[in-house]
Amino acid sequence: MNTRPSRSSSIPIPRSASASSSARNLESLISIPLIPPGRGQPRSPSTTRPIPEPRRVSVADGSRTAASTSHGHGPPTSPIRSSARSPSVVSSVPRRSPSNTRFEPRVVRSTATDGEGECPPQSSTSPTVTRRASLASVRAAASQRPVIPHHVVARAQTTSFPRPSYLDNSSLRHMLHTEIPIAPIPSRRADPTASARNQAYANAMIVENEDDGSPAASPSIMPPLKTSFKLPTRWSDQDRHPSLNVSPEGRELMHQGQTASGDKDAASARTTHPIPPACGIFYYEVDILGKEQKSKISIGFSGKTARFAKLPGQEPHSWAYYGDDGTALSPDRTGIPFRQPFGTSDIIGCGIDFTTYKVFFTRNGVLIGQVFDNVGKDMPIFPSIGFQQSGDSVRTNFGQEPFKFDIEYHVQQQKVVVWNQIQATPLHRTILRGHPKTGLGSIASITNDMGDQPPLNEDESKTAIDQLVLSYLVHHGYAKTARSFEKQCHSLEIKDIETSTLDGDDDDVDMTNGASKADGADVDIETRKTIVNLVIAGKIDDAIDTLRICYAPVLEADKQLIWFKLRFRKFVELILVTTELKKQMKAIREKEKQQRKMSLVPPLPTHNHWMEDDMGMDIDEDVVGPIPMSNRPSSNRSDSSGSGREKNLSPELQEVNLRYEDALTMAITYGQSLSNDFHSDSRPELQQLFKRTFGIVAWEDPLEEMADIAGHHSRVALANEVNQAILKSQGRPARPPLETLYRHAATSITQLGLMGVGSAVFTEMPHESIH
Amino acid sequence: MPPPQQRISKDAWERRLHDVPVTKADLNRLIMDYLVIEGYKSAAEEFSQEANLTPPVDFESIESRMDIREALQRGDVEHAINRVNELNPDLLDLNHALHFKLLQQKFIEFIQQKRIPEALQFAQEELARRGEESPEFLSELERTMALLAFDATPNPPPAIAELLSPAQRMKTAGEVNAAILESLSQGKEVKLMGLLKLLCWGETLLEERAEFPKLNVLDGTFSESSRS
Repeated sequence: MNTRPSRSSSIPIPRSASASSSARNLESLISIPLIPPGRGQPRSPSTTRPIPEPRRVSVADGSRTAASTSHGHGPPTSPIRSSARSPSVVSSVPRRSPSNTRFEPRVVRSTATDGEGECPPQSSTSPTVTRRASLASVRAAASQRPVIPHHVVARAQTTSFPRPSYLDNSSLRHMLHTEIPIAPIPSRRADPTASARNQAYANAMIVENEDDGSPAASPSIMPPLKTSFKLPTRWSDQDRHPSLNVSPEGRELMHQGQTASGDKDAASARTTHPIPPACGIFYYEVDILGKEQKSKISIGFSGKTARFAKLPGQEPHSWAYYGDDGTALSPDRTGIPFRQPFGTSDIIGCGIDFTTYKVFFTRNGVLIGQVFDNVGKDMPIFPSIGFQQSGDSVRTNFGQEPFKFDIEYHVQQQKVVVWNQIQATPLHRTILRGHPKTGLGSIASITNDMGDQPPLNEDESKTAIDQLVLSYLVHHGYAKTARSFEKQCHSLEIKDIETSTLDGDDDDVDMTNGASKADGADVDIETRKTIVNLVIAGKIDDAIDTLRICYAPVLEADKQLIWFKLRFRKFVELILVTTELKKQMKAIREKEKQQRKMSLVPPLPTHNHWMEDDMGMDIDEDVVGPIPMSNRPSSNRSDSSGSGREKNLSPELQEVNLRYEDALTMAITYGQSLSNDFHSDSRPELQQLFKRTFGIVAWEDPLEEMADIAGHHSRVALANEVNQAILKSQGRPARPPLETLYRHAATSITQLGLMGVGSAVFTEMPHESIH
Repeated sequence: MPPPQQRISKDAWERRLHDVPVTKADLNRLIMDYLVIEGYKSAAEEFSQEANLTPPVDFESIESRMDIREALQRGDVEHAINRVNELNPDLLDLNHALHFKLLQQKFIEFIQQKRIPEALQFAQEELARRGEESPEFLSELERTMALLAFDATPNPPPAIAELLSPAQRMKTAGEVNAAILESLSQGKEVKLMGLLKLLCWGETLLEERAEFPKLNVLDGTFSESSRS
């Protein structure tokens, strides 16, 4: 319904989604030196790359390891647990095994840092610029700091980072999280596994039977805007070959087992979570830290079934780029030679494009090409990587750092491609399907023939849009616009289209949806428009009177719902009159005070105090207090007219004061009778509204402080409601067809995105690009 | 392909519809966009009053745009060119392709009116020069010149004949309209049309994956699919 304008504020979701901000809260915590010295300090960069290594050292911390082991090895039900696992598992891997020597420089350095008692302040070595920025923005979270146990902090330190910005191009971006938000979505956290989560989202609103749609079953239908998908952000400690060592923060992999002999054996790993197709495009980069010249490393994507003792690209449902000979391989098809082998210090990027279901690779920031087909179309896929040579190692960037390749630009390009494809779609005749009541001759001629008909031609689609626009204008009572629109439609119309069913008179506004004669329709719009305008102007009584004359059933419908709402509004309007007068009095007093100062007449001390208040105490009491309403204002009035205080009021002020008191009496009397009438109604929605409405008397300036009840915007909303109620009483749809069309399109697109159609998340609803 | 056709009930669908964040103001802007681009000047004026919307362009430009479009539709290219120059003196200088289109249309109109000698002279003076300057226009130029050759033939090839059809006028008028809109930094494609296409595209893809209520666009009603 269009009475919910506030919803629009929920559209721009980008990064302010509660989820990501909560992630950043944690992150902000860790960048501040609250960790005891020596606990977790970034080491100096190990390679030429400027970004400091996350702290491998933290694993050595006994207490933390113990704490996390106690969590056990359960499935990754929550971010805390999933990342908690990492230190414990990694520590169980023989870390000082002989093969470790190849990795020596790192280990040595980490030990060295470990030994250092004093460390430079953390902020100077904050891992990335983005983090530091976010730190500043979340200072407010500081109060939470002491509550967070250290081990949680340490974990957040290694995994939490803002969603990579290229993903903001997805219309479902608000669902994509580097961490599953901790606080909200209790129901989601109960999900046993990530794959179950993915299953659930695809099935989110799919119901097997009609009766599943009953209210009882509705809680199981997930609110779409609150679904969360976890992005792959680290290599899994479980889903890997045992001889691969995963660093604590999950971004480094090193082969520490026996060097494989021949092509058959290998050691591979995949990420903890599959890639949500809602990304549209997902991309990650791998920095080859060390690789023997001829050894094989393959980087790409795998389905869940691919074995860890094989290289990705050799197993069914895996696709990868090979470093030794520079080919892209998948068992589904022969290798595609890129002729670009890679080795130590190369940066290899892998992307999956869910709009084409193709994989693309980059090398050192340059796109190599798009390969394979139907990747990730039927099953979830994971980033995946395989090694053969002991000692080979890589470091992965899942978006924690800026990418070497300009992925953002790439995604935007793809978005344009998608949009152009959509705009090249012919308009099927079926969108006019089953049009039962043929209102206009021109439309009838379109809709009579269905089936395998050619797409709508330009004139036909324009006629369809014209009709949508017209019915929209009529629905909302934009009568003048509707009239001149229709006039112009006819004059522009190419005359070979039959318009015989229309009355000759150009001034008629034809009602769609099988409404009555055009003349009556015209009057109808005018009346509706009048009522809507009266409500918007705050002339509620006039609106009610007109309704009673023209649309009496509307007032009675739904147990007088609209009538009550209008009367509540009337009460608000009466209160607004009093506050307006109050403001006037205040202004007059200010003015008089100034004048008195100017004329150097010292004000009487007793009155001085009084005047600084915006008004007399007893009057304020009238507004707020629980004093018997009917008596009070009149007694007050007689007070003020007779008492000695009165002589201090200027005539102007007196006059306004009188008006104020009248207005107040009126408001209170009205409120009382309304309250009596309303007493028996038990509808919670109305009761709530009732309470809030009467609450406004407590505020000095309801327009400011209770804008949702008192403001102009709430008048407009009520006017809309009245309009819809009238339309409903006439058996017409509460929404104009155009709005339904919009909602239908948006829902289809979102649903497609949830079902893994990447192109769908790269579309924008048209209004997003206006202004 | 995963063919398991899942079914989305009308109730579930309606709930989703209800949750779509769209406001009357959003839709009003879509309407205004349509009125402006399609040149419904007086309607746009009324609408900006009634819906309390600031117009995105000044209404006079709508009027001259429509004047140009109508001139082209009735074959008065000369008038159209003059009005374009009045509206935006730089437009044709900067947009060679557009200028060529207009000149081409003018040539076609000469042929339509059987003013062959003038057509020839015009081609030699104006069109040929542009073809030389910008080779990308050459093939189009040649196609247009073929009109002279087929002038007397009762059944010219379709590719040539279509130049003489009303659709060609509409096409040129549409292109000029779009170019002017672009120069006013106003969107040139009607967003409502984009919305309809999005709907078609989305429904088609979704039909492959699930059963869901289909919309009759014009009256806003849903029909559940026949399969039960």
